[in-house]
Order: sequence, then structure tokens, then C-alpha cells
Amino acid sequence: MEYQDEGKDRRVTQLRKGILELAVMGVLYHERHYGYSLVRVLSERGSIALKEGTIYPILARLDRDGLVGSAWVESDQGPPRKYYALTASGRQLFDELSQELDLLVSLVQQKWKNAQQPEHAGKRLLVEKG
Amino acid sequence: MSNYPDVVAKIVSDYLERVKSQLRLVPVREQNEFLREIESHVYEAYQQTPGVDDVARILAVLRNLGEPAEVVSDRLPGTMVRSGTKRNLPLYVVGGILIAMFGLPLGFGGLGVLVGLLAAAAGVLIAFYAAAGSITLVGSLVTLLGLIRFLAPHLFDRLVELGFIQLGGAVGEFLDQFSPTDQGLLMMLVGCVILAGGLGMLWVGKHLLRGLRFLFSLLFDRARRLAQTVRRKWNHEGREAPGMGRANPKPAVHAASRAE
Repeated sequence: MEYQDEGKDRRVTQLRKGILELAVMGVLYHERHYGYSLVRVLSERGSIALKEGTIYPILARLDRDGLVGSAWVESDQGPPRKYYALTASGRQLFDELSQELDLLVSLVQQKWKNAQQPEHAGKRLLVEKG
Repeated sequence: MSNYPDVVAKIVSDYLERVKSQLRLVPVREQNEFLREIESHVYEAYQQTPGVDDVARILAVLRNLGEPAEVVSDRLPGTMVRSGTKRNLPLYVVGGILIAMFGLPLGFGGLGVLVGLLAAAAGVLIAFYAAAGSITLVGSLVTLLGLIRFLAPHLFDRLVELGFIQLGGAVGEFLDQFSPTDQGLLMMLVGCVILAGGLGMLWVGKHLLRGLRFLFSLLFDRARRLAQTVRRKWNHEGREAPGMGRANPKPAVHAASRAE
């Protein structure tokens, strides 16, 4: 059973990795954030526990692709903060990716529903094809 | 550094140095900006982390932030791509091919071969610098002698008489065809050409050195990751050995929510 546990963990991690960039874009869609506040939002609102440092490679990638803009803002409480916000092209891409995600989610949920259906559902399809 | 206690400031400084060392191939401006951002994150996280033990607090912050290699992981590939397109150094390409040929398919043995090749490359680099230094020195001396011949021909003759300068054979016969002034000008011209060649080699060497340093850092980083993987597997097997099962299974929710 050990392998199954590890496999599950690995797959869940991969799934979350894939979705994390989209989640970051989603948070930055509505309001600007600096790295630490973004981590807090993801972990508090999204219940995603992540190594905080992983947010920076994602932000760097989004920045490099022109999907986010950034600006340094002085802080009264310490060093300046680098705020990020989604650009127009970032918003457009987010909208498109969200639709793709919805499709994928509906596909996954549909398969799940099919698995609950009686056995003859699949057989009927085969008859129709023939 | 922000208002940390001394010991915390030292720990943060060490961490930032480690991040910086991971970023050595990144342009300085980008490097400094990223370091500022990480410094800001560490400060914010430290302020938000409860506890009375300052050291424990900062260690928790850095643990949550992750290893410097993880934090900069996505910056390096971009930089590597940019380095390749901007400088187009064949050494980078050769390094990549060597790693692909030896490092990946053959595992430890291949890495051993790669280390040998890198050592040989380092030897070539040292020889290159020695040659560049010698040529620069020769160029400087010939230029200086030309200057002496041009400005103070008598001093030059005196140095020849004393044996400090020995210009015989074909070179001497060739120079005797000209007046002392022309000899001086000719020597300065030749000296400047040699000097330019030596300086040019040193300039090229700077880029070769950077390329070799990149290859070394790439190799060490790969070796370190390999060691980490082996150690992780070793520890994991060590935990499993007594009961051949999960003695202390990880809570599924916690494990699942780790998206590294």
C-alpha cells in the first residue's frame, strides 16, 4: 500500500503545482499583492500550504511573460514591498484558462458520474457505434 | 538589514548570501532586485511569526521559504537561455552536450568522466591565461624598448653594450637598415600589436572563465541534488525497515496540501 500512498501524494502535488499558477493569477486578478501577502491569501483563503519560496519562481515566470506588472512601494513597517498585479493580457489569459479549467473539471466530474452509472450504460454506446 | 537582533541579522544575511550565490549567473540588476524582494519577504514573515525565541522564529521563516535553490529555480533557466542567446558561447553548448552525453545516461560513471573533462578544461584555461599573460608582457616590453629607442637612442645603445638588450640575428640585421627613430617607431608598432593580442586574449578569457564557472556550478548543483535524493531515499527506507510498513503514516490532508 506504500506505493499507492506515495503515488497519490505525488499526483496531488503535481495537480496542485499545475493549478498554482492559475491560482496566483486569480488572486492577482482582483487586487495587487506582494509576495508574502500573496502566500498568505493562498494559504488562508485557498487552504494551499506551500513552500513560500515557490511563489517567486511563478511570479518571475508571469513577469517574464508580461502577464503581471510590478512596482516597488515603500512600507512604514520595514523594507519596501514589490507589488504585483495582473496586466490586461494576464487578465485575458486568465479568462481563457479559467474556461479551459471549467471544461477539464466538468470532464473529470462527468467521468466520475459515469462510473456511478449502471453497467449497461457503456454497452449501449457500443451497440450504437456498431 | 532591517531591525533584527544581531544573531537573526547574521542568519538572514547568510541566507541571502546563499540566494545570491545561486543567482551569480543572473544580471546584477535583476539579482539585486530579487534579493530585495526576498529580504522584504523574510522581514514580513518574521514580523508575523509568533514566538519569544528569535532564532527559532527566523529559522521557521527560512524553513517555510525553502532552500535558496528552490526559491531561484525558475530564474536560472531563463538566465541560461538569455546567456546562450546573448553571448552565444560555444563552451555553453559544449557543456550542455557533455552533460547530455555523459552526465545523464551513465549516472555516477558519466559524472566522473565529466569531472575529468572539466578538470582538463580548467587546465586548458590556466594555460590560456599563462600564454595571454606572457604575450601581454612581451608586448609591453617591446613597446617600452621602442619608446626608449625613439626618445633616447644613446641609452638604448648603452643597454645593448651592457648586454641587457640582445638583438642579433635576422631581427637585428633587419632593424639595422633603419634609422634609430624608425627603429623605435617600428618596435613600438610591433609591441602595440602584440600587446593588443595579449589584452584581447585576456578579454576573451574572461568569458571563457565565466562559461567554465557556469559548467562547474551546474555540475555541483546536479551532484548536490543527487545526494539529496539519495539521502531522502535512504532516510525513508530507514524509517520503513523495522516494521516493513508505515510506522507513522503522514496525515493525508497535510501531505496532500503540500504543493512544492
